[in-house]
Amino acid sequence: MELRLTVNGVARVLDVRPHATLLGVLRDSLFLTGTKRGCDEGECGACTVLVDGSAVDSCIVAALSVNGSRVDTVEGLAGRYGDLDGLQRGFVQTGAVQCGFCTPGFLMTLTAFMSENPDPNADELRTAIAGNICRCTGYSQIIEAARSAAANTPK
Amino acid sequence: MVTKPDIEATGSSGFVDAENLAEALATLAQLGPKVTILAGGTDVMVQYLRGDVTPSTLLHVRQLMELKGSRVGEVTDMGALTTHWEIVSNPALRRAHPALAEAAATVGGRQTQNAGTVGGNVVNASPAADLLPALLVSGAGVTLKSALATRELTVEEFVVGRRSTQRRPEELVTRFSLQPVGPRTGETYLKIGRRGAMEVAIVGLAMRLAFDEEGVVVDARVAACAVGPRPFRSREAEARLVGSKLEKATVQEAGELLRGTAAPIDDSRATAAYRSRLLAPLLARATSTCLARASVEAD
Repeated sequence: MELRLTVNGVARVLDVRPHATLLGVLRDSLFLTGTKRGCDEGECGACTVLVDGSAVDSCIVAALSVNGSRVDTVEGLAGRYGDLDGLQRGFVQTGAVQCGFCTPGFLMTLTAFMSENPDPNADELRTAIAGNICRCTGYSQIIEAARSAAANTPK
Repeated sequence: MVTKPDIEATGSSGFVDAENLAEALATLAQLGPKVTILAGGTDVMVQYLRGDVTPSTLLHVRQLMELKGSRVGEVTDMGALTTHWEIVSNPALRRAHPALAEAAATVGGRQTQNAGTVGGNVVNASPAADLLPALLVSGAGVTLKSALATRELTVEEFVVGRRSTQRRPEELVTRFSLQPVGPRTGETYLKIGRRGAMEVAIVGLAMRLAFDEEGVVVDARVAACAVGPRPFRSREAEARLVGSKLEKATVQEAGELLRGTAAPIDDSRATAAYRSRLLAPLLARATSTCLARASVEAD
């Protein structure tokens, strides 16, 4: 069935199965493998992408249910020449990436959250990332990364 | 835009993206039991991916304007597609329905709250559904529509058992009605889980208490989840609280009565005995919160 999406600013028209997940379409049809398949049941947040600006677990989103939407994935964060965005630089500077598997999900969750709340405190950030699991348990550095990105963003 | 030939072509695994209520109801009238209604997908897609439900036609209802929007008035009117995050982040809803907002805030992380809807939580009818106890103490009603008729039930009547409701295959849950908290009234939702977020309740308890000027309880509503096949109100515990000033002995007795109405089971999250032991202390804690929120003096 026909699925139209704007993925990271590029219009896409795809032919998908009725029950295909958004995660499956992103990874297997569009080869955007930055979005990770973790638990496959909406628990771990590794597959988080933005649909019309809202963070969702793409593993449990029926692809056809977001027909016509704007989808943003981790691949869309960096600029055209690969220059990292502020949040990504924050992750690098504070050592918030260990094995890296959870990183794209955290980046997308925090991107959505910090567009609502550009200067969050640590408690607000802990609540914001409740739906993302880092099994290396590097949460402190992730909070620090978001705080440093906020501090370095011109107000 | 999906047309009927597509349903035929894909047999038992179609996808209908309904654009309006009439189209959704026509699809339900035509395909009834073969349809799985898809709103936010946080339960349906997980059940499908685990193989718990067999592939059927997915009827996507997220675009239906008739199921959206909420308005707080003498009675709160809430569309079935209202998401957990909309409940958490809407100041008017939070003021009128603190227990519901607290319950919605405990569901999953932000991703789940963005996608999951109140209608989905109710129709999925999990024994541990967080929104159900809060809806029960709000005296909530539910509107069901089919191509031919509209009917209204209380949420208490609607959820009949574990993952079982009175929804007929041709019906769609469209809206909810809730009684906002009145004057000298406090309510709360308390949840016990192993961790603060992303947790299915071991026990959940909602309470709404209304007091008179002297601090006597004039109306009490107590509902619990994850301690029986469906979330339920304990009329016995409620009756014990009414007329009291929440004296310690009364609260303890109400807790025991709540325990008496519960039928918890052992599962991977907790034992039945542990769940049962939590009920009286949770009820006691809830009475204190309700009292504080109703801002009346206790004895």
